[in-house]
Amino acid sequence: MRITGPGLSSTRDIRLFISFREAMADVQRIDLLDPAEVARFGGIEIVAQEVVEGFLSGIHRSPFRGFSVEFTEHRAYQPGDELRYLDWKILARADRLFVKQFEQETNLRAMILVDASRSMAWRGAPTRLTKRAYADRLAAALALILLRQRDATGLITFDEIVREVVPARVKAGQWARLVRGLVDTPDGRGTAAQAALVRLTSLLARRGLVVLVSDLLFDRELALRALHYLRHRGHQVIVLHLMDPAEAELAGPPEVRYRDPESAASVVVRPRELARAYQATVRREIDAWRTACRRHGIAYHHILTDMPFGLALRLLA
Amino acid sequence: MTFLHPLALVGLAAAAIPALLHLLERRVPPEVEFPPLRYLSEAERQNARRLKLRHLLLLILRTALIVLIVLAAARPLFPTPASGGSPHEPTALAVILDNSPSSGLVVDGRPALERLKAMARGSLARASASDRLWLVLADGVARAGTPEALLATVDSAAVSARRLDLTAAVRAATQLVGAEPLPAREVHVVSDLQRTALGPGRAGLPRGVRVLALAPPSQAPANRGVGAARVTDGAAAVSIVGTPGTGAAGGAAPVTLRIRGREVGRALAVPGSTVSITLPPLGPGWWVGDAVLDADELRADDTRLLVWRVAAPARVAALSTAGGGRFVAAALAVLEEGHRVQGGGTDVAIGDRPEAGALVSVVLPPAEPALIGQANRALAARGGRWRFASAGTPGPIAGSALPAIAGLQVTRRYRIEAGTGDARRGTGDDATVLATVNGQPWLVRDGNVLLLGSRLDTAWTALPAAPAFVPFVDALVNRLARGEALISEVEGVPRVEFRTSGADTIGAIVYGLDPQESDLTPAPPALVHDVLGAEVLDGAAFAAARFAGAGRRDGSGLLLMLALVFALMELGVATGTR
Repeated sequence: MRITGPGLSSTRDIRLFISFREAMADVQRIDLLDPAEVARFGGIEIVAQEVVEGFLSGIHRSPFRGFSVEFTEHRAYQPGDELRYLDWKILARADRLFVKQFEQETNLRAMILVDASRSMAWRGAPTRLTKRAYADRLAAALALILLRQRDATGLITFDEIVREVVPARVKAGQWARLVRGLVDTPDGRGTAAQAALVRLTSLLARRGLVVLVSDLLFDRELALRALHYLRHRGHQVIVLHLMDPAEAELAGPPEVRYRDPESAASVVVRPRELARAYQATVRREIDAWRTACRRHGIAYHHILTDMPFGLALRLLA
Repeated sequence: MTFLHPLALVGLAAAAIPALLHLLERRVPPEVEFPPLRYLSEAERQNARRLKLRHLLLLILRTALIVLIVLAAARPLFPTPASGGSPHEPTALAVILDNSPSSGLVVDGRPALERLKAMARGSLARASASDRLWLVLADGVARAGTPEALLATVDSAAVSARRLDLTAAVRAATQLVGAEPLPAREVHVVSDLQRTALGPGRAGLPRGVRVLALAPPSQAPANRGVGAARVTDGAAAVSIVGTPGTGAAGGAAPVTLRIRGREVGRALAVPGSTVSITLPPLGPGWWVGDAVLDADELRADDTRLLVWRVAAPARVAALSTAGGGRFVAAALAVLEEGHRVQGGGTDVAIGDRPEAGALVSVVLPPAEPALIGQANRALAARGGRWRFASAGTPGPIAGSALPAIAGLQVTRRYRIEAGTGDARRGTGDDATVLATVNGQPWLVRDGNVLLLGSRLDTAWTALPAAPAFVPFVDALVNRLARGEALISEVEGVPRVEFRTSGADTIGAIVYGLDPQESDLTPAPPALVHDVLGAEVLDGAAFAAARFAGAGRRDGSGLLLMLALVFALMELGVATGTR
């Protein structure tokens, strides 16, 4: 494998990358490994790049098809190619298997919105990534895929306010800028995200793809109103709802005081006796988000932070 | 409700444990960051009422669970009407097993004692280690012991020769159990409840003591027995006793008199009568015979021993100075006429001083006080150790050697005193002092001299005017003068014991049954209740009523079942309502 890519300028990064590849020599699909294990071998760039490599080698096609593609040539069919790209006329005429290949054009503008609030900096177990770390790596991988398709990709990080804005570009070095934007955004405090989302709408003047990566721990109606506005403006909106597995199921000591890291509010509960009710509440909340998004034409995906990046990207394909 | 182990109730304090744990657990809960607090708050808000109800229910169930377990450990006893095999609270119990001779009555081929023993065993077998137990048999002794020891005593109990005074036995037993600081106190009277077994007075129950009496058979069994047999004037007087009014069985029955196993006479007698059977001519000496009735269901009273002495009438000489004067002379004349004495003899001389020619001298005080010294010197000259002293105070005669004259008044007398160094002074049954007045010797045997403190004259004593005077003179010259003691009759296993003095046989003790034992008439329940204060119950009722006053059912099993139900409910609430 060629050792290249943004972020591998230093000797240390290259050495880390080599050791990572060696460690992953026996693994064909590193994008399907445990995110925490993968993250242990390097920074965002290395992880995202490897995840994308594995992801793309697995699906053998562009995950984001349909955004301005033109036919270029035929090539011989290989196992794993999708049958819908099979050229049935050649098959009928010459009894040979050819698939059609398309040239991707870059007229898509994608903007990835990453929630950097305080709640995103939480993880339920030391062996897992924080929601923010997971979101950064997922956003970086997604941006790399989009950039490889020659789609202009940008980044906005926010908590109570907009923290970093990297305008959507397709030029060289854009991915490095995006990664830097992610790295340079510190963990925020509160999450009055709906206000930030409203402000974001003004930054997204041209139609395109908007991907929101967040734990969605803010007022649902207000947030949906902003997302609906984006949708109304012609954007294609995808919401990636991140959740730590410990947030989906309540567990812990017999009695514990849970404190909200953002609001400092706290409540004393007995996890064992409230677990079932809590689980039902979380399920209702997810269903409410999914239903509301569907109603507004917004794609919604619920992602746990122990889900391999490849599977998370697959949800977007 | 009472408890077998009340100390275990201290554990009720543990009922506070669930509440305390709840409070202690709530005091310092660990604090954890948790971003989706809004979900948690929402879940808690929606389940607040259910959780409160669950907490309250769990608290109640856990507290009740501990309370039930502690109460079960304390072994609660609930009052129950039926005794069954249920345990009872600690009881002081005295079982009176009447194994008197009447219990040897054979009923349906079995001694009545077996039935009584079975009932007594039933009472003792139900006793527990926390009970205090006594067993009273016919000897009247209250034996304390463990159930096992007393059961062994019951098993080994045989028909006794002693009569049991039930009134006295119940009185003693109730006082024993009444003194015990136990919750329940009972006396079980296992007896044939003869009417004659009820002694004088009432038992007088202490408060809180319950007396149960086994009811006797409704019909009095027929019985006859030899109540007494004595030899007087060459004939045996045999008294027949038994259960009165028992129809044909209570009619006349043959009485056989046997001497040394040989039948010497026979007569017919009915219960309540006395027959006289003439003895054949017998040589001098002590004779033992027995009066025998035909065998019936109560064998123990069908025979009675009798003992007597055959001796020639004493030859008596009454001196002219005899203190009795005409009274003594008249008595001797009567006795001589009845061939009890012979006149002019030298066996016994009655006078104011010892007679040198007589074997035994009966010395009366001289009428003149001035002659007392002379009489004393004459006594001393015969080697006597007793002498007349100053005048004594009037008083009644007392002494077991001459029961017939006991109580007769003595108005004038001399005190009789022993010489210095004589240690044989005494009263009552003392062989030397035969009768006393005001505790001072009045009739004394001193070797071959009999000293009387009063002259046998109505100016000195009421004795000569009493019907007992002639028998007294008879005993004086025929028995006391010879040093003989009374033939006494004592309750016990039938036998004869002779009393000896040196080489001479001077008396005998005849052991036999109390004649009251022959009357098997049962006491009416009302009388038993009145005298003993007892509930008279038949066998089944008696068995059911034992410990019934203290009858308790152990509630620990029920409480443990309840605790199990509560534990299952707690498990269900704790796991099913999460």
